[in-house]
Amino acid sequence: MKILLLLAVAVPAIAFWPSSQDPATTDWAKEVERACTSQRYGMRLAAGRKVAKGGAFAVDAIRAYATTKGLAAVPASLVDAVADEGTEEPAVVQLLRDWSMQRDFYWRANAMRGLALRAERLTGESAKGLRELFVSFHDDAAWLMRTSARFGSSVLGDDKALALAAPESDPRAIVRLTAQKLLAGKPAPLQPLLDALADERTFQGDPWGARLGDEAHKALKAWLGDAHPLANGGSFPDVPTGIAALLGPLRTKSGQDLKAPLARRDAAVEFAGGIEVLSCKHGDFFLQWTATGELHFGIDATKSLALPASKWDALSKECTQLALDGVLGDVVCDSMRLRWSKPNLHAKVAPASLPPAVTNWLKTFAQAIEEAGELRLAAALRAGLEQFAAR
Amino acid sequence: MLRLPVLLALLAVMADDPIKVGFATLASFEFKDGMTLPKEVTDLDEKLVTIRGFMQREVPGGGPVNQFMLVNESCGCNGTPKLPEVVFCTLPDGVTVDIKVSVATVTGKLFVGEVKEDGVVVMLYQMDADSVQ
Repeated sequence: MKILLLLAVAVPAIAFWPSSQDPATTDWAKEVERACTSQRYGMRLAAGRKVAKGGAFAVDAIRAYATTKGLAAVPASLVDAVADEGTEEPAVVQLLRDWSMQRDFYWRANAMRGLALRAERLTGESAKGLRELFVSFHDDAAWLMRTSARFGSSVLGDDKALALAAPESDPRAIVRLTAQKLLAGKPAPLQPLLDALADERTFQGDPWGARLGDEAHKALKAWLGDAHPLANGGSFPDVPTGIAALLGPLRTKSGQDLKAPLARRDAAVEFAGGIEVLSCKHGDFFLQWTATGELHFGIDATKSLALPASKWDALSKECTQLALDGVLGDVVCDSMRLRWSKPNLHAKVAPASLPPAVTNWLKTFAQAIEEAGELRLAAALRAGLEQFAAR
Repeated sequence: MLRLPVLLALLAVMADDPIKVGFATLASFEFKDGMTLPKEVTDLDEKLVTIRGFMQREVPGGGPVNQFMLVNESCGCNGTPKLPEVVFCTLPDGVTVDIKVSVATVTGKLFVGEVKEDGVVVMLYQMDADSVQ
């Protein structure tokens, strides 16, 4: 009876006993495996954090896993955990460098963000060439990659190099970089974040504007701390009330001349269809069209182009013959989404999974865009096709 | 005289209406193990809610699912979803659905609180999902 009582008390106690494993003797291969393949998402997150905390001790095991299973088997959660951990050990920094320079690695921007977060503290070999590395990705086609690179340059105060970068037009990149700089304690104009709070724009049913608002609010809340109107919890009844409540504290703390944003909504255009290419490797591509062949490019549909009626008639006739549905292939990160109303179609496609008939139709579409004078946009669509066409 | 029954019926209908919940509320805080969750999320415990988001498999694979994760975005552009950014949904026994390409509206009973496995917090939000639209 006493033994049973002892067991009843001891088993839970042992289960929750704080473990102080020696990183030098930890089986890192096993931990990396858990971080990459655990059935439960929460377990993968926790194991990823443990591996990241292992720092240089775990690097060999991570590299060995990537060599055996392929780089695509390394999940974003592990890369983010290593990026966020902040350890400055040369082996970890080198791992992040190697990842960030692998164009085929889905999570290269996450690794680049990890370098940016450490950039100020790195010295010696780890710091060597870091400025140049950031600059070399300032104009990367993938918005997350160029944002991480520009963030790195901001952290290092490399304003001269930043001034030479191409103007940023992607609203997601503008908000992300501003938020990152703010949270890193760097000077940042707050107006882009304030504007994002009133963003209601969508792309083919995806409320990306509202998501920008959430991201901006999170950053502003963290930055304001106790000065945030909801520092003790709660939520605003609606967006305009929230913006009105935030304006005062933001103006006071920043000293910036901030203006209440106007709601940003989709233009009054009725779209008949659209294509979205999300590529961490090659950059994103957004195209929507009306029933009469007016094309709108960009997530915010800012660039428009009218195709000749004869071209558009042929394209839309071919479009009605295409059949596609659901998810094609195993989407890890990069994906192509196709959606139109005649016939009703909505599909998401993994790289190398787009059926030949659709690929050929999109090639004809790209040709029509090129002939209408938009060579760069046609090339961007073709780059997407190259990645997603079935092989 | 009819007013009271009509009012009661109306209240009953209103009581059954799901509460619309967004990730702006669910993910409004930085989670640390063992922390007291904010009141605005604990107030939602065991409530009938509707949440809009993107369906994701917990493990890679194909075919219809009985369980899925509901997250705020489809592309991973905001980095790895953290625990407050994931609602772990389970459909009734024997019910499966395809992973939707577009935004899904999921309705069901939400359960809020840390769920641990092997001493590790693996979930904050679970939902017994009744419908996926």
